[in-house]
Amino acid sequence: MMAQVKAPRSVFLNFPLGHGCGRPHDAFMQTQILKDALNVLVTAKNPGDIVDLPYQWDRPFDFPGFLEDIQDMVKEEDGTLQEWKPKE
Amino acid sequence: MGFPPYKWSEFDSSPWTPFKKPLDRACLALISSAGISRDDQEPFDPWSVNDLSFRRIPINTPFERLRLHDNYFDHRDALKDFNCIFPAQRLMEFVDQGHIGRLAATAITLGMGRLYKRTALQNETVPTIVEVLKGEGVDAAVLMPA
Repeated sequence: MMAQVKAPRSVFLNFPLGHGCGRPHDAFMQTQILKDALNVLVTAKNPGDIVDLPYQWDRPFDFPGFLEDIQDMVKEEDGTLQEWKPKE
Repeated sequence: MGFPPYKWSEFDSSPWTPFKKPLDRACLALISSAGISRDDQEPFDPWSVNDLSFRRIPINTPFERLRLHDNYFDHRDALKDFNCIFPAQRLMEFVDQGHIGRLAATAITLGMGRLYKRTALQNETVPTIVEVLKGEGVDAAVLMPA
């Protein structure tokens, strides 16, 4: 997706959505990720450059798991999952 | 959740402005699409469709005053620590440490979610945001998608 949108400079962090800056209360990792991103801001030479960051999430994750997590979250928060319908 | 396939915006090229200013003299802005509002602002719809609005959040807003309404990602960790998707505290530390010059007083937050009106986003919402940031002398923006 980032490769299609082509922001001038991007870093890719292979973490589940909602963790763009890392894990909660892990100030050390959040700081490192942001410093890496700002380093790319300063050093990138080519429009649309994407730099992969080396950090690893601590367990496997995938898209079905992402949807399950959202359902768990909505249940936990006592909300309702919206049935999406295209507009007429 | 039964969503139709989303057509992402695709661009063949990327706008490019060489970043020449030393980081320790630059002004950075924070932009987040995680559905964050302040407690005195209209919250986002957690299941929003085509919401083109944005909120202006003073960058030094205490996290206790932030609200997050976005169910298109698992936001439970973000609610434990907004820095996961809105790293205002980390960036303010960078200013204190002299790593960056300053932060724009206003952070920009969007709800996004399922946004099919991409032309309106590009022609209406984005120019307004750019004006706000230009008014604050911003040199670069940190975009945090969620």
